[in-house]
Amino acid sequence: MKADICLVVKDVSKRFGDRVAVDGVSFTVHKGEIYGLLGPNGAGKTTLLNMIAGIIEPDSGEISVDGLNALDPRVRGRVGYCPQETIVYDNLTGLENMMFYAGLHGLSGNHVKRRCRELLDRMGLSEYADKRVKTYSGGMKKRLSFAISLIADPELLLLDEPTVGMDPRIRRSVWESILRLKEEGRTIILATHYMEEADELSDRVAIMDSGKIVAEDSPENLKNCYGPKAVIDVEFAETIKDPKVIIEKIKPYASGGGVIYKDDTLRIHVDNPDIISPKVISEIVGEGMKLKTLKITMPTLEDVFLRLTGRRLAEE
Amino acid sequence: MMWSAIKAFMIKELKLTFRSKANIFWIIAWPAIWLLMTAYVFVPPATGQPMTLKVGVVNYDVGSTSPFNGTTFIHILNESEYRGAKLFQVKIYDNETMMLEDIMKGRLDGGFAIPTGFGKDVIFGQAKLKVYVGARSPQSAQITESILRGFIQGLNNGISIRKVNETMKYITIYSEKYMPKNITIPMAGNRSWMEFMKDWMMGLVSPINASFQDVKPKALVERASILGWYTFGAIGMSLLYSGLIIGSTMAVREKEAGTLKRILASPATSTDMLIGKTLSGLITLGIMSAVIIILGVYPCGAKIIWSPSNQAHWLAILLLILVSIMVIGIGMILSLIARTVESASNLSVVLGLMFAFIAGIWFPKWWMPAWMRVLADVFPATWAIDGVRSALIYGVGAAELTPTILKVLVATIISYLIGIFAYKKTLRRYVMA
Repeated sequence: MKADICLVVKDVSKRFGDRVAVDGVSFTVHKGEIYGLLGPNGAGKTTLLNMIAGIIEPDSGEISVDGLNALDPRVRGRVGYCPQETIVYDNLTGLENMMFYAGLHGLSGNHVKRRCRELLDRMGLSEYADKRVKTYSGGMKKRLSFAISLIADPELLLLDEPTVGMDPRIRRSVWESILRLKEEGRTIILATHYMEEADELSDRVAIMDSGKIVAEDSPENLKNCYGPKAVIDVEFAETIKDPKVIIEKIKPYASGGGVIYKDDTLRIHVDNPDIISPKVISEIVGEGMKLKTLKITMPTLEDVFLRLTGRRLAEE
Repeated sequence: MMWSAIKAFMIKELKLTFRSKANIFWIIAWPAIWLLMTAYVFVPPATGQPMTLKVGVVNYDVGSTSPFNGTTFIHILNESEYRGAKLFQVKIYDNETMMLEDIMKGRLDGGFAIPTGFGKDVIFGQAKLKVYVGARSPQSAQITESILRGFIQGLNNGISIRKVNETMKYITIYSEKYMPKNITIPMAGNRSWMEFMKDWMMGLVSPINASFQDVKPKALVERASILGWYTFGAIGMSLLYSGLIIGSTMAVREKEAGTLKRILASPATSTDMLIGKTLSGLITLGIMSAVIIILGVYPCGAKIIWSPSNQAHWLAILLLILVSIMVIGIGMILSLIARTVESASNLSVVLGLMFAFIAGIWFPKWWMPAWMRVLADVFPATWAIDGVRSALIYGVGAAELTPTILKVLVATIISYLIGIFAYKKTLRRYVMA
């Protein structure tokens, strides 16, 4: 194994009864890299993280962390896992929660308490260290969960939907925390269904759907390879009663048939926006619909997902 | 196994347990309520003391000049004692109607109506006396009637003996004058004719001269010991439902808190969690038992024997530890069917209280119908609590306690091993969910 490789996942599959959760997944993660697992709910991201964390055993395939099998007890000390759910006890204080998990990692004593306080301080929770978690907001609980996953100073961090349910301001602060952890040289696996999150944070992204990785590369390369050249977003002044009519009208102009209507907005994948835009406006006006705005933007990972699976991430 | 992880689980569980108001209610308040109710309602402070009956008397024999009359009877009622306590508290009525009204309203346990000429008839013939027995409850009516009958029988005997003695004085005087000296009576044996006559008349009065001696063990009749019995009943009851809750929620509580996967992703093992949570459960149950004992002894007045040098007393503590582990094990088995904290807690409380009530832990098993007693006889928790009672209330020795300990030990090992199997299976199910 190369010295800079932190994680190797090879042909890993997992079934729960008749349902295939993970289906022959393979990828490699380098040290110091943020590797995004992007996919809708039920794509198999959490099951994959649970297998990397050694909580469940794969039915087939191999997972190794720093050359050790993921089920080897020594791996547990090197991996910091922050599941999607908040992992804290409401009736304990922030510090007590930290000390509990420190104990699970075989750490105790005053120096550990000092480290716990440092981590709480880094997450902006030092003022609340001695307050019961039931008084914390959702974002504070998530930051505490982050701090907990760093207690044992892990080389590999597994973050499952770290910003789910957070408002944009707190989400931004969590992203900053994740980038700081990368700067410290940690390897991070980030499972998310937010394409902006994967786009913003990941060095490489694996797009997952129905337990499989359908594409894997850097966000830029994914967009270049699989995305359209541009996207036209048309916002209507009023809700369209039957969007199928306008979708059918626009489809011939779209690249790869990429047209979606959601939240009063029509999203059209195009290769030559300058030529297509006037035609789109003409078709809309011709149908007697009122335009509110028209924007030409660059494609996102969501557009890549749409191209690869025919569905929107947010629809799931 | 990692001690720091076991310790972390133990401390975390203890903090969470004692910071929850619901837990404090079940651990402290609920047994305290039962114990205080038992001590001051069901086994009130007068329990075990001789009873004093409230009786009414209507005396129509007021003008009598006889040496024994209605007033003498009332005086005897007032002075009668049993084990240093007055047997009667007497209230005088002018007529029977008023007295009967009070009896029927439960203000009196009973009453006497003394007719005119009562005293004269007692001395020279057979007197009549009306005795009324009140019925505040079926049990109290039975006790009141027994006491009143006993009193009248005792009074009859006393009067009869005095009458026999008086009669013998006259028989002695007249027999010396008129009876032949060489008269013999068959069956008299070596006794003289006079001695035989006296024995004969005493036999008419009281054919059997029974003597009664109080040999009942104090532990069974003293209120303090009865409360000691119930104190261990409260401990048994609380151990049952609390232990079941601890066992049945061991895994599901972490699942609902969202912490289970994070715990399993740490170097701590599921065995560390099991041991940590069992130890914290034992500490919780130990604190609960100590609080119940303190409540039983101080505000309630329970009598519990304790001597650090007595081996049997330490074995009783061992029995409490074993029964706690056993019940936690049974709780873990329940986790197979109870899949939320709420359902596990409800099931544990219902089963715990049900077994406490029907298996001879809270109520004595001799109160129960025969078929239900079978359950008490085969339920290991009942063996354990009865063993603790026999050591710490009745003073049974270590040798007598040993077979109980062995039986409870076997039951504990079996239930805890099945519990571990159920716990591991439950964890697997939650991880795969």
